[in-house]
Amino acid sequence: MGIQTNTGENMSKYIIETQNLSMQFGSKLALNNLNLKIEAGGIHSIVGSNGAGKSTLFKLLLGVITPSVGESFILGNNSQKLGPKDRGNIGFVNEEHTLPDWMQVAKLIDMEKSFYANWNDAIYKQVIGNFNVSHDQKISELSRGERAGVNLACALAKRPQVLILDEPTLGLDVVAKQAFLESLLFTEKNDDCTVIYCSHQMDEIERVADQLIVMEQGELVNSSTPEVFCQRIHYWVVDFPGKSPHSDQIPGFLQQRNIEGEIHYMVIDQDLSLKDVFIKLGASSAFQSEVSLQQAVNGFLSRNHHKPEAENQNV
Amino acid sequence: MIKIVTGDARPIFKQIVDGIRMQIMTGQLQVGSKLPSVRGLSMQLTVNTNTVAKAYSELLSNGLVESRKGLGLFVIQPKQILSDQERQQRLEKAVEALIHETIGLSFSHDDILQMVKLKFTDLPDGNTD
Repeated sequence: MGIQTNTGENMSKYIIETQNLSMQFGSKLALNNLNLKIEAGGIHSIVGSNGAGKSTLFKLLLGVITPSVGESFILGNNSQKLGPKDRGNIGFVNEEHTLPDWMQVAKLIDMEKSFYANWNDAIYKQVIGNFNVSHDQKISELSRGERAGVNLACALAKRPQVLILDEPTLGLDVVAKQAFLESLLFTEKNDDCTVIYCSHQMDEIERVADQLIVMEQGELVNSSTPEVFCQRIHYWVVDFPGKSPHSDQIPGFLQQRNIEGEIHYMVIDQDLSLKDVFIKLGASSAFQSEVSLQQAVNGFLSRNHHKPEAENQNV
Repeated sequence: MIKIVTGDARPIFKQIVDGIRMQIMTGQLQVGSKLPSVRGLSMQLTVNTNTVAKAYSELLSNGLVESRKGLGLFVIQPKQILSDQERQQRLEKAVEALIHETIGLSFSHDDILQMVKLKFTDLPDGNTD
């Protein structure tokens, strides 16, 4: 299959677009034919199990590695051909908060200022004010939270058009985490600044996300608002006095657990008529409830490693 | 105060809607009072401003608040704009929740009904019929 060569000028609608993007590391397919489109504006959260391909995606988007197949575009430019000016419009914050350890905070800021044309000192001061950082300290002397603060303050002060955060609050204490989220949510950004927020912390995702992107084994499996995603998934508690059915017989089956003789199911894209299905399969009662985002994501991502052991356990 | 919890089956915007509706219904927020600004409430709860904006637009379309240009949102005399069917459904849901919460407390049904009546008489309009 031929790879499309798109110059990017006609792709302004999407801040990020990947076309048939695949990445193979040895025998492992880290990204599998990913076609992702992210519209400008808002906070887009990416979730997925470890190894779902999120970090690989970021490396490809930033042009750090070359894809095996396909192409990716960021701000309309091919990731493999980003110039210094394009890079100035892209902010990236990773979980390690990689900064030059040997530098004094003040020196780092001077250097960053001189590199970035859009640097805004007021924004830097506003953000760093949320963290307790003294500028005569060396980076290596900062706590994890302070480091995260310096990193975020720099990223926001550059006024990027797209800001990618890869598990930025990992290992932060409650105070630093709160300061981080507040800075991210309430610092005056370019109105069209698009934030890509990758995290395993569902409580954070609930607070920040406008859009929810779910990735699984290198593929895109959901792109919607978090509410719409939650509404697709339901929790059922079902009582089977006799033998419980095989999970293949449950429409939309995601996951099941056997708890004190009742079977707890998570299902996707089913309505209340599923109750009739359960009754037909021998259930004496079936009770549906709604799920939280945490449960929805968990149920969804666990569907490929559910253990069928709960079957045939009813005596 | 409005409280939100993460990990709830209700999305945060819905929790905000329910919280404010509750405050209006119990008289903590009276007709004419101003809601906090979108940014203010977002900061208080540490949530995306779009989430609060979404909650406010639902309160607007439910006829609980009105927007006064440049001033913000204000609580108004509630207008009934839900369909009869929707009202019936909500009533049933609320009563079921009440039963759910109280059934294990070994009160007699009369005790519970008595308490419900008492709480209604405590409401600002004292409407008991």
